[in-house]
Parts: sequence; structure tokens; C-alpha cells
Amino acid sequence: MTRFRMSSGFDPVAGLLNLQRELERVFDKPFGIDLGPSGRGVFPPVNVFADKTGCVVKLEVPGVAPEDVAIEAAGRTLTVSGKREVPQPAEGSFHRRERGAGQFSRSLQLPTDLDLGRAEASYKHGILTVRVPKKEEAKPRQIAVNAA
Amino acid sequence: MTQQELNVPEKQETRGELTRAGRTYVPQVDIFETKEALWLWADMPGIDEESLNVHLDDGVLTIEGQVDVKQYAEMSPLYTEYNVGNYVRRFTLSNDVDSHRIVARMQHGVLSLEIPKAERAKPRRITLTQ
Repeated sequence: MTRFRMSSGFDPVAGLLNLQRELERVFDKPFGIDLGPSGRGVFPPVNVFADKTGCVVKLEVPGVAPEDVAIEAAGRTLTVSGKREVPQPAEGSFHRRERGAGQFSRSLQLPTDLDLGRAEASYKHGILTVRVPKKEEAKPRQIAVNAA
Repeated sequence: MTQQELNVPEKQETRGELTRAGRTYVPQVDIFETKEALWLWADMPGIDEESLNVHLDDGVLTIEGQVDVKQYAEMSPLYTEYNVGNYVRRFTLSNDVDSHRIVARMQHGVLSLEIPKAERAKPRRITLTQ
């Protein structure tokens, strides 16, 4: 499997094109990640990346306040649940209603070499990012050669 | 109230030719009208105040957001359900809005716009003279 990394210090246009191409290439091809009975069209959509330290899970949750999100790790399952509310003005009328509201919950099974116990989550501009580091024993290490 | 399962349609790509390269997506919106104003909410995850551009030109309201792809450096995708791209959407407004008093806010990846109506467009009660 060939993968290339996005390098830092690129120009923004080429960077975006590269990223979009990369994201498209792996659409619907999970590698060792079990998403259960879910998939596209389910809220929130999820992208999973690998980096040097482990795995990065990104979920698009626009309009969901960070305090309305619960993240749970059990074994190798990561569950993100919460609710999204949209404004409900008392008087007036809607011309368009495209944004959904309600409860959501998604679970994903992550590869076994990750340490969910040390996962960290952050929220920025409607994107929830969960970083899951590799287990210590799964990290590459140098093995010294002893002279006989 | 019964619990409602939240389902969203997939991100929709912008049709037509744009001057910028790459895929561009149509943010989903709610538009609401009261006596005083039009309200618009648009889902634009990943967009902050600096990368947002809202302008009204000749009665056409354009909302645009440029994504920051720097955060994706040094990462390689394993599994993806959504693509990342800039956002753009245009709306034609009637002339009866007060374009100088439009208020834009960005919170949790949602743009909210308050577009006040011009005085002449507000509903008035007409009193009968005896």
C-alpha cells in the first residue's frame, strides 16, 4: 500500500487539491476500522487519519456545542454522541430548512495497536478531533545489535 | 418530545465553474423571516472568522469560506466519509433589506446572519381615520 503524506509548507491551492485527492482515494475503504451499521449520510461524518503518533479521528459537528458532546472509550470502541439544536424562533416563518436537529451517536472500532486510554479530544470551529496514540509496544524502536 | 435521529444529506458540491481550483461545497442553510429581519444560518465546519467572507453586491448575498488545510499536514487518510473543501453559496435578496446593518457571527462552525429589513419593507398597521 502506497501512501504519501502531505508535506508542510505547501502553497494553499496545491495543498487543498492534494488533500481532496487523497481523501477521495480512500473513500469507503476502511483499513482495520470497523464502523458497524453506519456509513455515509449518517451524522456526524467521520474521517480517520494516521500520523506519526497514532490515529486522528475527525468528525464534522457544526452547530454542536462542545458541552453537548460525550466521548466514550471502551476496549477498542470509540463512541461519540450528543445532540444538535437549531434555532426555533417563536414568531415568523422558515423559507428554507436544510439543517437537521436531534440526537446522534456513532461508534467506531479502532485498530488494536492504539491506546484509547490516552485519547485526547479537542473542538474547533465545528470540528471534533480525537487523537489516539499508539500503544508503547506498537511504536517503532531501534534494536541495538550486540557484537558477538 | 420524541427523540429524533439526526440524518444529514451528504455534502453537495457547487455546480458551475469557479475561479478557484479544487472542490467547493454548498453549505446547508436555514432561512427564517420575522417582521423585523431575515435570519440565515449556514453550516460551515472548519471555517473561522478570518477565513469567512460575506458580501452583498447588487442584491446578491455571497457567503464564502476558505478551509485551512495546514492542520492536515503530516497525516495520511485511513478512512474517509467526507471531503474537505471551500464553501460558497449565493442568494438573491430583495431590495427591501438594510444592507448597512447586516450582522454576521460565526460560532461552532455555523455562520449566522441577521439581515434587517429596510423601514419601508416592514409591515405597518394602518389606522382608520373616522
